Amino acid sequence: MNTFSLKILSCNRVFYDGECEILIFPGYDGEMAIMANHAPMTCAIEIGEIRFRLPGETEYQHAIVSSGLVKVEHNKVDILVYSAERPEEIDKFRAEAALERAREQLQQKQSIQDYHVSAASMARAMARLRGVKDSKKFM
Amino acid sequence: MANTKEIQKRINSIQDTMKITKAMYMMSSMKLRKAKQKLEDTEPYFFGLQEQIRSILYHFPQMQHLYFDNRISDLQEEVKSKGYIVITSDKGMAGAYNHNVIKEAKRLCDETEDYTIFAIGENGRHFFKSQKYNVKEDFRFSANNPSVHRARVIAENIVQLYKEEKIDEIYIVYTKMTHGIKEEVEVAQLLPLKTASFVKAEMIEEAKKGLSDNTLEELDSANDYFLIYPSPKKVLENLVYNYVTGFIYGALVEGSASEENARMMAMQSATDNAEAMLRELSIEYNRVRQAAITQEITEVIGGAKALRNKKAKKKKQLTRVKQV
Repeated sequence: MNTFSLKILSCNRVFYDGECEILIFPGYDGEMAIMANHAPMTCAIEIGEIRFRLPGETEYQHAIVSSGLVKVEHNKVDILVYSAERPEEIDKFRAEAALERAREQLQQKQSIQDYHVSAASMARAMARLRGVKDSKKFM
Repeated sequence: MANTKEIQKRINSIQDTMKITKAMYMMSSMKLRKAKQKLEDTEPYFFGLQEQIRSILYHFPQMQHLYFDNRISDLQEEVKSKGYIVITSDKGMAGAYNHNVIKEAKRLCDETEDYTIFAIGENGRHFFKSQKYNVKEDFRFSANNPSVHRARVIAENIVQLYKEEKIDEIYIVYTKMTHGIKEEVEVAQLLPLKTASFVKAEMIEEAKKGLSDNTLEELDSANDYFLIYPSPKKVLENLVYNYVTGFIYGALVEGSASEENARMMAMQSATDNAEAMLRELSIEYNRVRQAAITQEITEVIGGAKALRNKKAKKKKQLTRVKQV
């Protein structure tokens, strides 16, 4: 299978830098997949889960990401996100606490700005929890 | 000349101060190691972000949008209200670190008529407030321990103001580490973004000079087709938040590493100075002590001599009396 080079950069580390066969990421209106020799494009990534398969492997690698951008050009894919975590790195209790906190904040009267912040942190917490649950299924 | 007691007192006080500066040196070197690690982790993202934003902008269709610097209002307005995000430290004792940033920000503000300062870090806020500059009051963030969350909240704040068109241009003034030793003050424009044509001209210029990784042919071939999904507007929205948040986070991390570096250097030189002073003072102390001892001895000898002379005189008198 043809491969392309994939680079996932998050704020605090280089999450992955190397070859990859297929990449699936959450787009604006559903998941999108990228394979080798994709046409040049740029796309917004939503909060959710990225899956990618390394050459010669059958299992997918998982990463829970926050919103960001993906750029495809010259058979190179760059992903820029604030945070990227493996499912096993996620602290379930922390995510649950964050979800609870965001829910509470959303019930109060807030400015539009605060509403955006808490809605985004709620989405992140939910994506994390979903990621933990999904990884349990595979194990 | 001061007497021994006074010099002793001085030596003790310098020794006490040296203990403090030494301890602060150790603390800041520990913190510097942490901050440098953070900086190293962030740097690929920070530079990758700038590079990617540029190459995405390169492909962006020519359009007028609030986020670009070809807004319709740009052509009408004479005076632009500028916002400066100034990153200083929360605490002092960091050599010229705060001074340099403040000086640069002050220069920028003095040049413009309409500006607002968004101060991050207690030091800068205090300075600008006491000098009666226009500081945004409800913008209170610490510069200690930068986190993505804080950067996100700051970005949300700033972009909101920008969207309401209360501020037309946003700049960030921060300190950058170069080669891991030297600090330099940097001013970068966050918003509005440069238009595609501007970026294109810039990149072609760089490729001609051979500065960038792209060759002219590569840039040419990249012109053909580029998909922006789902729509340029949606991507732009994401891009702006990403860019501003990422840039602010990167600047905060760079700033905190520079701060610790500056503090470490300042404490190092303070300790060195204290040592030099102690050396001089101890020489002076010994000299004064020696002088005092010498004086005492001369006094004792002089006293003894006088006594002996007196005795000798008495003896002479006695013998004379006997002879008589």
